[in-house]
Amino acid sequence: MFRVRGLTKVYGTGAAEVRALSGVDLDLYASELVVLLGPSGSGKTTLLNNLGGLDVPTAGELQYRGQDLTAIDEAALTRYRRDTVGFVFQFYNLIPSLTARENVGLITEIARDPMPAETALEMVNLGGRLDHFPAQLSGGEQQRVAIARAIAKRPEVLLCDEPTGALDVRTGIVVLEAIQRANRELGTLTVIITHNAIMADMADRVIHLSDGRVHHLRVNEHRAPASSLNW
Amino acid sequence: MLSHLDRKLWRDLRRMKGQAFAVAMVMGCGLAMMIMARSLIFSLESTRREYYESNRFAEVFVHLKRAPNSLAARIKEIPGVATVQPGISVQVTLDLPTLDEPASGMVLSLPDFAPPELNRLFLRTGRWLAPGSRGEMLVGEAFANANHLQPGDTIAMLLNGRRQSFRISGIVLSPEFIFESRPGAALPDNRTYGTFWMPYKELATAFDLYGAFNYLSLTLEPGGKERSVIAEMDLMLTRYGGLGAYGRADHPSHIRVSDEIRVLETMSIGFPIVFLSVAAFMINAVLSRLLNLQREQIAIMKAFGFTNRQIVLHYLKFAFVIVATGTVLGGCGGVLLGHRLVILYHQFFRFPDLAFRADRTAFPLALLVCAAAATAGVFGAVRRAARLPPAEAMRPEPPANYRPALVERTGIAHFLSHTFRIAVRNLERRPMQALFTVAGLALATGILIVPNGFRDSVAQVLDTQWDIVQRQDLSLGLVEPASAQVRHLFGQLPGVVTVEPFRAAFARVGFGHQRRQLGIQGIPPSGLHNRVLDDHDHLVKLPPEGLVVSLKLAEVLGARVGDELRVEILEGKRPVRNVRLVGVSGDFTGMTAYMALPSLNRLLGEGDVISGANFRVDGARREDFLRALKRIPRVSWVAIKDSLRENFRQTTAASIGLIQKIYLAFAVVVAFGVVYNNARISLAERARELATLRVIGFSRREVGAVLVTELVVLSLIAVPLGLLLGTGFAKAIIRSVNTETVRLPLVLTTSNYAFAVLVVAIASTLSALLVLRMLDHLDLVSALKDPE
Repeated sequence: MFRVRGLTKVYGTGAAEVRALSGVDLDLYASELVVLLGPSGSGKTTLLNNLGGLDVPTAGELQYRGQDLTAIDEAALTRYRRDTVGFVFQFYNLIPSLTARENVGLITEIARDPMPAETALEMVNLGGRLDHFPAQLSGGEQQRVAIARAIAKRPEVLLCDEPTGALDVRTGIVVLEAIQRANRELGTLTVIITHNAIMADMADRVIHLSDGRVHHLRVNEHRAPASSLNW
Repeated sequence: MLSHLDRKLWRDLRRMKGQAFAVAMVMGCGLAMMIMARSLIFSLESTRREYYESNRFAEVFVHLKRAPNSLAARIKEIPGVATVQPGISVQVTLDLPTLDEPASGMVLSLPDFAPPELNRLFLRTGRWLAPGSRGEMLVGEAFANANHLQPGDTIAMLLNGRRQSFRISGIVLSPEFIFESRPGAALPDNRTYGTFWMPYKELATAFDLYGAFNYLSLTLEPGGKERSVIAEMDLMLTRYGGLGAYGRADHPSHIRVSDEIRVLETMSIGFPIVFLSVAAFMINAVLSRLLNLQREQIAIMKAFGFTNRQIVLHYLKFAFVIVATGTVLGGCGGVLLGHRLVILYHQFFRFPDLAFRADRTAFPLALLVCAAAATAGVFGAVRRAARLPPAEAMRPEPPANYRPALVERTGIAHFLSHTFRIAVRNLERRPMQALFTVAGLALATGILIVPNGFRDSVAQVLDTQWDIVQRQDLSLGLVEPASAQVRHLFGQLPGVVTVEPFRAAFARVGFGHQRRQLGIQGIPPSGLHNRVLDDHDHLVKLPPEGLVVSLKLAEVLGARVGDELRVEILEGKRPVRNVRLVGVSGDFTGMTAYMALPSLNRLLGEGDVISGANFRVDGARREDFLRALKRIPRVSWVAIKDSLRENFRQTTAASIGLIQKIYLAFAVVVAFGVVYNNARISLAERARELATLRVIGFSRREVGAVLVTELVVLSLIAVPLGLLLGTGFAKAIIRSVNTETVRLPLVLTTSNYAFAVLVVAIASTLSALLVLRMLDHLDLVSALKDPE
């Protein structure tokens, strides 16, 4: 689905220049679950933001289903995000003034072929907390609302940036289960960023980044269920 | 050397300069209004006081028929009287080659060989009258300017029926005529009415008054009782045809200046209070936002050992920089506006030198008021932040608590979009911020209503007065009441369509303990020209007997229809009668009274007499008519409706126009500033939320809609409130303008309201657009990283 060649992203100029990505080559396929591993500053988040249309690369090729994402304008990028991509962030980023159901419903208002908000929240086992506001939910619950929000539009791509980063182990596993379930049941290409190597076991493929390049790639013969992970 | 904390303050300010400036501007508007009004009050009051002192303006005045000069010495004996100045004051008709119509005026005498003791003139150009001179006179500046007269020019004047030419020796001003207009006229017409001064001997001889006086003014000794002096004078002067003495408070020119000062006083308190409360809130909102962003910094400062006091002081300094900017802006604005408005006053008020004088006490007062407003605005916010234990403050703020908004709980939640829910829930969570944005917008709407309402009121008065009440084209008054026979003479003038006579008699009307002096108008009971209307604009038919008085007079006297009023005529045979009050009229000119002409003449006991007439004239022959009038020696004054209207348009309407512009500018600044501030704060506080919406696929326009929905909801609440507020302001102003001499109705039109709504809508929209453009620069990636 994604074809990435020589992807380079440079922030700032001159002495302040930071090369976040320096020539990433990568292909991502439909329905697979990919874990992106790497230390801080390795370029994971930059890569994810480029894939999700939140940022544009400085150089290189970035194609989604044959469409060149580096050449389209702001409005087309918005459309791409709206129709194709689901995001899950480390800090949930829920709208505090909307309930769980409404946070998800927000997406179903603008998406092309959404599932009902209730169904999406069912999928992350939050069917019982539909009308709670973010402030009334625990961190894990908030993150699951964020996942429900991301999958409600039946996205082709689900991008998760440190989804368990702010959570304890037990809650983190519940969240990963939800992501895994969405990947399995909806056939969504899922990319998870983490620096927690143990999570690599649940992936189809594991990509190691360092210094803005793909360091090495590993294919898992068997995907471990999220519930079996422990760290 | 700036401390590091001050350097931080400076950089914070620079980052928030847009908002800081918006607050300073709103504050500046309030202060400008206050400084302007207070300075104008100060300018008018101090200039008038100095003028009165240096030119020895008298304190008590009286007109009478004729009294020997020796009587003046007896008046001086009255306890409490300091200086007495007798003289002559007469009405004359003028013949100006530049004017089609006859002009008229008042000529006053000056002592032949010495400067007057009281009411001394100020020489603007030319020279004083030469001692013992003849054929020379001084002219009041208002009339001279309106007719482009210079020293050396000559004017033809009918003195007691005899045409004489006079050379103008100088152009002068008098403390008696700061406001110069024909007695009884609500509006000045300086083109056709003027004031002149001549040596006593020449004037007295012309009017057979040599050795006598018909006008007297005096000053009181310190501690002299005005009331008792007036009472004694009235008693003394009754047999000499005294028209009733009056003090400065009833002096026509003095009243007009005092009225203006009173309007300014209303303005100098009411508006600034509202402006400053809105500004105080805006400071609070800006600072709360800053403090939220700087929670961690505050925590670190406290962890390093800064005291709460130091922290509070640091942020108060932030507010005071804004206050200082606002004060400077307001000071400059107020002084600038004051200069413009003082020039306007020159059209109405004649002072030797009316310059703008800044009321210096207004500046520290302004600073104090603003600083108090700002302190009130920031104190809560800063204290809240300073109280937080450092460890807690260093953690990110927990997600804010929300709940379904009130409107949703009514059961219509179903129909509301998510955007709308976000908007109303946000508003409900921050009721104070919403309240003050509403207050600001309501204020902007409200202040627009005032000048337009004032303009409409004045327009309605004049339209009613000129189109419905006074349907004549012009009116004239005779030097002395004359036999009704002259009516036929008038009828034969060229171009006359209809003519109706009137009789005016100066009288004192009383009921119970109250009494007032005014002219009773005798008009034909079924007249078509000058008509009497009640306060619903219905025609009041004058019954054959009895008196109809204006609503205001009835109210002042406390009399009701059916009561017997005591009428003392102050001229001719000075009869005193009880006359039944038979009706009430809705006049705008305060104190008026009407009687059927025959009934008034019976009361006066002088036979069938008239003192003037109202005409309708064939437009095509108007000039012939006016030329013919100029040849009738007994005509004392002529009032032409069209020229009054034109004159009004050039003076009063022009000044209302300027005031409208000032209020318009204020309203735009407030609407713009309040909306800008609100939107900027929303944008800053919710950058993360808005960025999230963008990331998950909302377009820029859809995200903008979230902000705009809030503003629209606020505006929808604010505008109707603003219209109510404006109505209240307009009522208060009209009430402060209304006196015993003028009664303005409250006129609020749909177009006035619509204009206010439109201006506020446009200003807020532009301001919102400016902020929305910032959504373009929303950094999607960094907004998602970690909560600040």
